[in-house]
Amino acid sequence: MARIEIERVTKRFGKLDAVIDLDLEIEHGTFTALLGPSGCGKTTTMNMLSGLLAPTAGEIRFDGRRVNEDEPGRRNVGFVFQNYAIFTHMSAFDNIALGLRIKKLSKAEVAAEVQRVARMLEIEDLLERRAAGLSVNDMQKVAIGRSMITNPDIFLLDEPFSNLDAAFRAYMRAELKRLQRELGQTMVYVTHDQIEAMSMAERIAIMNEGRLQQYGSPDEVYNRPANRFVAQFVGSTVMNFLPVEIERWGDSLGLRIPIDDAAPIVLAGESGAVRAMGGNGGGGPFTLGIRPEHIRVVGAEAAGDLRGTVTLVEPLGARNVVHLRAGERGFRIVVPPTTRPRIGDDVGVELDRSRIHVFDDATGLALR
Amino acid sequence: MSRRKLLTAIRTVVVGFTLVVFLFPVYWTVTMAFKPASEWQPSGKTYWVPQNPTVGNFKRLFGANPTGSDVLISTPIDATGSIVNSLIVSIGGTLLALLVGTATAYGISRYRAGGKILPFAILQLRMFPPIAVIIPILFLWTYLHMYDSRKGLILIYAAVTFPFVVWLMRSFFDEIPREIGEAAIVDGCSNLGAFRKAILPLVKSGLATTALFVFILNWSDFLIALVLAGNRVVTAPVFLSQITSAATGEEYGTRAALGLILIVPPVLLSILIQKHLVRGLTFGAIKR
Repeated sequence: MARIEIERVTKRFGKLDAVIDLDLEIEHGTFTALLGPSGCGKTTTMNMLSGLLAPTAGEIRFDGRRVNEDEPGRRNVGFVFQNYAIFTHMSAFDNIALGLRIKKLSKAEVAAEVQRVARMLEIEDLLERRAAGLSVNDMQKVAIGRSMITNPDIFLLDEPFSNLDAAFRAYMRAELKRLQRELGQTMVYVTHDQIEAMSMAERIAIMNEGRLQQYGSPDEVYNRPANRFVAQFVGSTVMNFLPVEIERWGDSLGLRIPIDDAAPIVLAGESGAVRAMGGNGGGGPFTLGIRPEHIRVVGAEAAGDLRGTVTLVEPLGARNVVHLRAGERGFRIVVPPTTRPRIGDDVGVELDRSRIHVFDDATGLALR
Repeated sequence: MSRRKLLTAIRTVVVGFTLVVFLFPVYWTVTMAFKPASEWQPSGKTYWVPQNPTVGNFKRLFGANPTGSDVLISTPIDATGSIVNSLIVSIGGTLLALLVGTATAYGISRYRAGGKILPFAILQLRMFPPIAVIIPILFLWTYLHMYDSRKGLILIYAAVTFPFVVWLMRSFFDEIPREIGEAAIVDGCSNLGAFRKAILPLVKSGLATTALFVFILNWSDFLIALVLAGNRVVTAPVFLSQITSAATGEEYGTRAALGLILIVPPVLLSILIQKHLVRGLTFGAIKR
């Protein structure tokens, strides 16, 4: 049972600011992902939650209680490391039992608890094996078991699946979701893989260069990215960015992509970008962002918003990713598998008006 | 002859020659240990193998009065005390160096204690032979009342081998991912507990190898023990150098016998920790 509050936390290593002014509230029992590229400060944040690192400034509270000064062992957190950090000189049983033995539980209690955890993870038959001889996949399960054994209030997982093969990773994702539901504990999960974050987490905190970029549900960060970084980082096919000139057209905005024969795109008055622009039609420069899956191919007779020449087709089975070039600019679209243009084809496309994002180049922030 | 065969032949000759160069002194010591005094250095004749093998040399080492044809030597000697001294100072020095050195190495490896300078500051202790500063140390040791004492030798041996321990152990600690210790700490271990329960078992092999290496250095030291001790506290190598007699001069056979005995502890130790030496270091905590 724990609610985590991180308030204006900064962590400095010498001259390097690893985490800057981080504010984050994690509700009890939620599965939260810290997402970001390597070096963004997510692991540092994690280590401050576990107590392995002390914040330079700010406060961390568990259930309203300040824990900045608490030893890691007293915070009642379970930690799963990227490389599992299994003690190879011990058996799987001893690895899992360590936390309880430190708490000086009786032999019978330890054995019962280890059995319980092993049953949940389906590793009962591995317990007597030496950890050194386990497969990577099993080591990972043992590591999770070790973190679970003391019934921690908070689970911290630092990229626990990045060393696993793809199939087992998918399996473990589902397993972890199940475990989290069964245990009902707060889980914080660090990853640089946006698919992992999107598929497992209820809330995603996206970080970059030590700063929180956006904190919201997977749906929010996907559909309403706060800034260009988030827009680019989230999504399996990277968002297209095109320079755009904004003109005022009565109640609406006209977005003109400065490519030869592109027609202006009119955004209606209710669009977030229009509201954000308010009365002024100037400012800028601006960038238009649109996800490849929100661009549609138009028929041969229609002009569309843009025309481009096909330079590459990536058939992915369920869909095809088509690379197009318009003037100087390249962009990508996602089309159904039935649509398979040939390289060199001239294709007209239309942008889904409701899915257009406009970013202010000066701040990187989305207009909305 | 093909090129390949020629290369093999050359290799065989080179290896064979090297082996002879390195093993001949061992052979000579072993055979000498069993030669009676008359065969030690006969004029104009070389005995490649003992003609009248005897264990008299060993007996003489432990106080037996020489008898029979070997009655050339008068004063009885006893090497027991020197061997005991050697064992005590070598083991003591090794343990002390391991204790301090391992702790230092862990601090450097995990906490970057002393920054970039400290490891090299420690290493520079080895940039000149210890004997170069032995005279100042002699004064220091005399001043500290450690001249000619076991504790004095233990301390100097630990100091001299300390850099080895630090550098060897540091590389072993570097191999261990930081997370191993952190995992133990999150589980509730203290810093020391994490070191003892999680880290130390993983460097067992390294520790054993280092211990053997340091022990052999201490065990075979002659110069330091000669300068800093030698009256009350005589170590085996120093004792060995002093085995002479009026009748025969250098007692080669007796010395060889003691030399042979001195080979035993390192060999025995090597066999005991062979598992660690052969296995080397297999850190399996991380699948990279």
